[in-house]
Amino acid sequence: MVCAAARLRATILPMSKSTIDTTLPAHEVIAAPVHDGTSADFSRGMKLGMPIFLGYLPVGTAFGILANQYGFSLLAALVCSGTALAGAGQFIALATLAAGGNAVTALIACAVVNLRYVLFSATLSPYVSSIRLGPLSWIAYTLTDESFAINTADMRSGKCSARSMAGVGLIAYIGWLLGTALGWMFGTWIGDPTRFGIDFAMAAMFSALFVALAENTKQVLCGILAGTLVCGLWFASRAGVAIDQNWFIIIASLAAATIALFIFKDDASAPVTSAQDAEIVLTEEEDRG
Amino acid sequence: MDNTLSSTLIWMVIIGMGLTNFAFRFTPLAILSRMDMPEPIMRWLSFIPISVMGALFAKTILLPSLEYVGEVPLFANPGIWGGIGAMIMFRLTKSFMISSVFGVVVYVLLRFMLGM
Repeated sequence: MVCAAARLRATILPMSKSTIDTTLPAHEVIAAPVHDGTSADFSRGMKLGMPIFLGYLPVGTAFGILANQYGFSLLAALVCSGTALAGAGQFIALATLAAGGNAVTALIACAVVNLRYVLFSATLSPYVSSIRLGPLSWIAYTLTDESFAINTADMRSGKCSARSMAGVGLIAYIGWLLGTALGWMFGTWIGDPTRFGIDFAMAAMFSALFVALAENTKQVLCGILAGTLVCGLWFASRAGVAIDQNWFIIIASLAAATIALFIFKDDASAPVTSAQDAEIVLTEEEDRG
Repeated sequence: MDNTLSSTLIWMVIIGMGLTNFAFRFTPLAILSRMDMPEPIMRWLSFIPISVMGALFAKTILLPSLEYVGEVPLFANPGIWGGIGAMIMFRLTKSFMISSVFGVVVYVLLRFMLGM
């Protein structure tokens, strides 16, 4: 007995030796692991990640300036950015220390903000089963809001590969480190570049990514629900409920995805990846049982 | 006021932060990717990217606007227009780069024009 709900089905147009069985349940097609890719995929990933570079440069600069003010050596600022690679987390840790907190409270504050990486990492995991632990650790190392967003959107194109993800990670990493260095060295001259609003690049990129990921009504509604929850949490915290802003993303995403899971029974609209050079065409199809 | 922190404290935090972040990012990716996850979990995970994007959109674009509710009308908000501009541009070009830059240009120009 098949319900009459619209079902998203992946139709694979074989271009090479690719043979993904279209009779598999949709989610199994969808969880097809990404392939290793070629060196061309690596540069493609670097290009794909350019907006992240643009966004990280000014925010990294802002971090470099602050780090300098708080007595970080250039080396310490670079190692901090290069190992944590955590925008908000780094600022929070710095702010906690500046407010007189000790190392433990700073680390807890940072961990709370970065807990969302666990969720991102779990979400990406079904797609990376064929990637060796070496490259996988670089992909994990450079996993941020922005690289997660770009890579999950890219998986829909079927072109995403281990190397393209590594390229996205590298360009983001360079932007963050370069920004940190520039801010530390020239902060007193250039001032905080975010005051011009160029850090809006991240917000603009999230807007574009929302459109990229919004491929059917269920997904759109789920995304709008998550956004509404964030606004609701904001009003709640304004009204005196003790929820820190840093929890908003993870609470709203978990809640929206859970609600969507129970409301939308037959969904299969995760990022699509193909193991080989298959061109994947998504067709919305009415399942008449 | 002297903001300078001790170098020991700084390095302790740097090392701790690096380790926790890598553990957060690597552990699920390494362990879960080697396991078969049950179908409901997969379906649940399929909703995470769009949820995260909706939440990030709200946090980076809507919340800063909500701060000004009552002072500045919503339609005069540079962030909202920058976001809409980026969305339209992405529909037209399918390029994250072009749409991000366009969004920034709209945002910066509007902010300048509104004297914010």
